[in-house]
Amino acid sequence: MKRPLPPAVLTAIDTACVLGRWLLGGLFIQMGLEKALHPADFLKLLEQYQMVHSSLALNAITIALPWFEVFCGLLLLAGVAVRGTALLLAGLLAVFTAVVLRRALGLQAERAIAFCAVKFDCGCGGGPEFICAKLRENVGMFVLAAGLLAGRGRAFCALYAWRARRAPRTPDAQA
Amino acid sequence: MMDNPAQPAARSGGGGLGKLLKEAMFVAVAGVAFAFLANQISPRGLKLTRNYSGTPPAQPSGESVEDRLKAQRLHLIKRPEVEQLFHDPRREQNAILFIDARDEEDYQKGHIPGACEFFPYYPEKYLPTALPLCEIAEQIVVYCAGGDCEDSQAAAIYLRDTVGIPGDKLLVYGGGMTEWETNSLAVEIGARGSGDIHEGGK
Repeated sequence: MKRPLPPAVLTAIDTACVLGRWLLGGLFIQMGLEKALHPADFLKLLEQYQMVHSSLALNAITIALPWFEVFCGLLLLAGVAVRGTALLLAGLLAVFTAVVLRRALGLQAERAIAFCAVKFDCGCGGGPEFICAKLRENVGMFVLAAGLLAGRGRAFCALYAWRARRAPRTPDAQA
Repeated sequence: MMDNPAQPAARSGGGGLGKLLKEAMFVAVAGVAFAFLANQISPRGLKLTRNYSGTPPAQPSGESVEDRLKAQRLHLIKRPEVEQLFHDPRREQNAILFIDARDEEDYQKGHIPGACEFFPYYPEKYLPTALPLCEIAEQIVVYCAGGDCEDSQAAAIYLRDTVGIPGDKLLVYGGGMTEWETNSLAVEIGARGSGDIHEGGK
């Protein structure tokens, strides 16, 4: 039979997950704002991927994505709909990573350099970055999102605190 | 402020897949609505239906600036001719106009003296100033940063196709601000006509 983890270890894990939730939320807010405040630059970077050929679709992505990231970041910071948000962010990160990887491979072939020497502005909100560092960063964020998806890091959640306050007290609790 | 935080939702029984998907769907819809609303309110927001590049995004790699402009029926102009136009006395009478198609931040840092700002992503902001000058001008030199920058092309296309400025008046300076500064030519800092002109570059 599997022995349960001691409470101190569980607390440490959950504290780390709450900090991870705040970190992930903060990162998405920062990256989203960077793009949202310079939408023209973001649009030009998206054009370089040559994946969307309709200006309407390109504009829709340019408009929606940065503010969507900010929204998700705020939800994570506040602790509202954490698992749903984590699921969406994990999905987004998987797509971003695939798209960035594809472009990096294209640039590597074009420039005939080592893969990790490929440096470009992926439009992720952090300016030009080396591809290996970017991929590591994305994997890290994906792991954090997966941890939240597993239901960890739920302390200091505004929604749960609000629900707990509204829930009727049991006679035991009242006593 | 916690709801049994040490217990993961999956184990507490509250983490069913259906509930999770419903929550994700709610976040997605609310997030997209928030995004479009924020874009609407933001002074830097983009218009959904406008074609900002003026051209399809996909450009064959290795295509020269000249070919790219030719495909758009635009005329490329090189630095010697740009310098000639810059020193032409007609520029003082607004018969020759320079249009800077870079964003406000870059424009403020330094532009070709007398150039009018026209960042093609927010035309309604710049048209009230730029349009009367474009209508008077006999020749208009449009430039951006140079190199891969396509904003001068987008600005020229907008002025020609949307505003109705005759295409033969429009000349695109491919070298752009980078080439201009590299050659230590005069640069004006701040607003148009600020008088803060630095001869020999910044």
